Amino acid sequence: MAPKQGPLDEVIRKRLLIDGNDAGDDRRINLLVKSFIKWCNSGSQEEGYSQYQRMLSTLSQCEFSMGKTLLIYDMNLREMENYEKIYKEIECSIAGAHEKIAECKKQILQAKRIQKNHEEYGVLAKVIQHHPDRHETLKKLDAMGKELEHLSHIKESVEYKLELRQKQFHVLLSTIHELQQILENDKKLSELEEAQETSMDTDPKP
Amino acid sequence: MERAVPPTVPLGQMEVFQALQRLHMTIFSQCFSPCGKFLAAGNNYGQIAIFSLSAALSSEAKEESKKPIVTFQAHDGPVYSMVSTDRHLFSAGDGEVKAWLWAEILKKGCKELWCRQPPYRTSLEVPEINALLLVPKENSLILAGGDCQLHTMDLETGTFTRALRGHTDYIHCLALRDRNPEVLSGGEDGTVRLWDLRMAKEVQTIEVYKHEECSRPHNGRWIGCLATDSDWMVCGGGPALTLWHLRSSTPTTIFPMWAPQKHVTFYQDLILSAGQGPCVNQWQLSGELKAQVPGSSPGLLSLSLNQQPAAPECKVLTAAGNSCRVDVFTNLGYRAFSLSF
Repeated sequence: MAPKQGPLDEVIRKRLLIDGNDAGDDRRINLLVKSFIKWCNSGSQEEGYSQYQRMLSTLSQCEFSMGKTLLIYDMNLREMENYEKIYKEIECSIAGAHEKIAECKKQILQAKRIQKNHEEYGVLAKVIQHHPDRHETLKKLDAMGKELEHLSHIKESVEYKLELRQKQFHVLLSTIHELQQILENDKKLSELEEAQETSMDTDPKP
Repeated sequence: MERAVPPTVPLGQMEVFQALQRLHMTIFSQCFSPCGKFLAAGNNYGQIAIFSLSAALSSEAKEESKKPIVTFQAHDGPVYSMVSTDRHLFSAGDGEVKAWLWAEILKKGCKELWCRQPPYRTSLEVPEINALLLVPKENSLILAGGDCQLHTMDLETGTFTRALRGHTDYIHCLALRDRNPEVLSGGEDGTVRLWDLRMAKEVQTIEVYKHEECSRPHNGRWIGCLATDSDWMVCGGGPALTLWHLRSSTPTTIFPMWAPQKHVTFYQDLILSAGQGPCVNQWQLSGELKAQVPGSSPGLLSLSLNQQPAAPECKVLTAAGNSCRVDVFTNLGYRAFSLSF
């Protein structure tokens, strides 16, 4: 299929390049050439003149369309420049956005660290709250210390009294014993004396 | 292997076997390459598959980009844990840890660099290594698992320097505390223990199940997942997922998730967790559930965040678990696509 279509493709390409948007320019130029030949071959003065006018008008139409195309070309060039400028601007802003993203990521990390510290603090605070207040505990300790002192004083005085009573009872008991001893001794003495007297009485005749 | 087979042609033996294998696959571990463009995933058959993330994330990604570029048999048993350094990939399974060069793997040469076993108490023991942790400050690798000890291996010489004892049951997970050179380990015995690496001793023990607020006796006391942020620690598993303040060893926030969580990690101001159930949960530190994004596996075992500075365009979250698929999340709000073995 390729070899025969080759030259045909070329022809189609050339025709499209010349007049792709079918504005009629190509036709007009062909018509101009034909009308020039007709004018050269024209007989009368009037025909020639009208043919000449027609050729001029076709020429001016061609010039007009040429002018239009040039303006469009200019406009395209300027659009291209404009687009280049916008493209560069957008590139810059993309780069700027990337940097901002990196910054924000750093800030997020920082914020997460702060959040973590905050939570750790909160958790520890909860634990500490469970334990009673230090001042209260100290006060309780003081009060208990005083009570302890007070009680030990009482204990001391009670012990002292106990000892005193013990000693007094001891003295009492020992006095009682002594008195008992004395009484017994006296009793014994009196019994002895009685016994001596009766024995002397039973033996009166010497 | 997902071609459309017309119903009249019977499936070959091989294809049936492969389909069954993929049905019963569990992916235990994942790891990103140092350049950030590749993901390694290890499964229960001992295979490691390398996926090209940059190809799968690019605008001309096709179905084949979501398949591994190379798959090789790394261990005889499951690959429970993997970590990556600048040039090496370490994978651990039943009792042994192997090293691979990333450059070799990406060229499809699958020969291991070395294979070592930490010193076990008896030679008959082959305990599984559940967790690997890199300590960049002292250039060493910590292994922990079934023998209840933490072994430290120096990466330059390859010798095992310390064995930290203290856990009474096997260890599930490890985490590194940056500021003080401490390692946290969580285990089946329900405790989280902090070890000081310079003094090679246990510094603190937190018995999670003894705290009423988080213990859930019906789930058990095992600690399945651990993550730390120097002052804070999240752990979960049998007991509820809880945020602890390490200095005062008090549980501060209980996350209301009934399902035991198998992996947890801190990310920016959120805590990400995954476990039973197909969703990746995002929590705020105060205990609120910010988002729950469903994945494609019925249960998730590992989450991995690609934060390698060399590949910011591959910054994704990947989740894998009880299926042959690895879900890729480009934005934490939704699952973008899944890579598949």
